[in-house]
Amino acid sequence: MENKIKWETTMDTAVALARSEKKFILLDFFNPD
Amino acid sequence: MDAVTYPDTKVINFINQHMIPLQVQYDTRPMAENFNIKWTPTIVMLDINGKEHYRTVGFLSPEELIPSLFLGISKSYFDTDKFDNALVYLDNLLTEYPKSDFAPEAIYLQGVCRYKNTHDPKPLKEAYEQLKAKHPSNEWTKRAYPYRLI
Repeated sequence: MENKIKWETTMDTAVALARSEKKFILLDFFNPD
Repeated sequence: MDAVTYPDTKVINFINQHMIPLQVQYDTRPMAENFNIKWTPTIVMLDINGKEHYRTVGFLSPEELIPSLFLGISKSYFDTDKFDNALVYLDNLLTEYPKSDFAPEAIYLQGVCRYKNTHDPKPLKEAYEQLKAKHPSNEWTKRAYPYRLI
């Protein structure tokens, strides 16, 4: 198992992966401060 | 979330197994405007077309994030009339996290999904009775209140 979440950073990539892997997208809006 | 919840091993395994995780800063344009982001953390669940089905605002502990994602996946299936799929994730939520804050809504939605599948209203009454017994003061018990008459 991975020891961290493998975050995508662009919507286009996430949608392409969601379609190929038939998964839902978890979109997290975060504040770095 | 980055300090406490996302480093949790169960959370990592769940998200990597069940979701495509996408993280962007709260002011990323045009996404922040498109999703009307006003506060963080905001977590939005999207389908394969990028359509929103569920969101949470505010911190969630590891023990609450996973059941919230179970519920979000269930609602995503519910929105597209895939009630059997929704029931699988609701059952998972209620079996693995019966004391979660998201459990009452899951019981309610379980009753609705079963009704939608069969057109038999009995599951709605069963949902109310279960809510009344386990979560008597919860808002979802109040929302199910009319079903006591079925």
